[in-house]
Amino acid sequence: MAPILDLKNLPDADLVSLAQEGREAAYRELIRRYERPVFSLIFRMVRDREISEDLAQDTFIKVLNHIDRYRPEFKLSSWLFKIANNVAIDHLRKRQIDTVSMDGSPHASSAAEIEATQLEIAAQQETALEELEAKEIGSAIERAIAALRPEYRSCIMLRHVEGRSYEEIAAMLDLPLGTVKTYIHRARHQLREALDDTR
Amino acid sequence: MVVDPIGGTVNHRHLLPEEIDQLLDDEEGFGVAPLRAHLEQCSQCQEQLSALATVVSRLDSLPHLTPAPRFTDRVMSQVQVFEPWHVAAKNSVSRFMPQSSFGKAFVGATGGVMAVTMSLMAVWLGRRADAVLFLSNLVAERSRNAVASLVVETAQTLFGASAASAVREGGMLVMVGGSVALGAAVLAVAFGVKAVATAGRRRRA
Repeated sequence: MAPILDLKNLPDADLVSLAQEGREAAYRELIRRYERPVFSLIFRMVRDREISEDLAQDTFIKVLNHIDRYRPEFKLSSWLFKIANNVAIDHLRKRQIDTVSMDGSPHASSAAEIEATQLEIAAQQETALEELEAKEIGSAIERAIAALRPEYRSCIMLRHVEGRSYEEIAAMLDLPLGTVKTYIHRARHQLREALDDTR
Repeated sequence: MVVDPIGGTVNHRHLLPEEIDQLLDDEEGFGVAPLRAHLEQCSQCQEQLSALATVVSRLDSLPHLTPAPRFTDRVMSQVQVFEPWHVAAKNSVSRFMPQSSFGKAFVGATGGVMAVTMSLMAVWLGRRADAVLFLSNLVAERSRNAVASLVVETAQTLFGASAASAVREGGMLVMVGGSVALGAAVLAVAFGVKAVATAGRRRRA
């Protein structure tokens, strides 16, 4: 019989090794450890509890079904957040819901280009569920985050909620370091303006 | 007073956005001290930094949200937990290992004695290569004779004495050919029976 391990105190790399040996308890501990951060990131991206749960579920399934391909030189959490961000962005691209463009593409260099890359506000009435969710995370800062471009949202969440460095965020999101810094800078300023308006 | 990027010292401008970000992120190192010095003297930059610091503080205190109960179970219902063969083999072996320390010591000692004995035998056989060669030739000859007599007896049973004598006279080549033909015939019969049985099942279905 295998010795009983205190999985809660094991580092991620050891848990992954156990998962790679087929220990189901290690899989469950990895989910328990990261379900809230992953769900939070996705929820603040898509703003719908049911969809967020489905996308968070997809994220874990993708990662855990390919746990044998995990490379220990990277953090497991970085891999999870990368997949979580990708599934959330893919979903938003498909649905284009709840997105407000403040200034068009950050890569746009001319006024015409900025206008051409602006996304339109989804002209939808808030459903009862959305109202409920708005109450649930209805603080001014949450509303301001919801109004950010999705790219800014993921960067600002990873930076401030997950405490990741600029370099880690750049690696996770496959973005140049300078772009990450620009996104976070713009996001902070837009949040500041939005919060000033609510006063 | 702000250190200009090109090397000079300037005090005629406010902090640049990236310089405000450096202060917000609590960056250390060369170049930050002049920014802090400027901040002490400039109320406009102080106000800008303070407003952004409030935003950062509110972001830093955002809570994690919790998915519905049984989230883990829902994920695990779609995850394939794969146990590699070497782990499965190790687990199978460990299942037969005794749990007590005395039992483990006994198994370990027995294994050690066996390993040492086998090593000694291997060394002895290595030193007596001529004897090993003689023994292996003897075993090969006996095996060959046993197979030959089996083939001859089978030929006699199935096809009569003339076939047996033909096989005996034909030597090893005929015996091998006959064995292959016999094996092929057995396989053909087996597949034929299976095909008939399958066709019967299909008709009943």
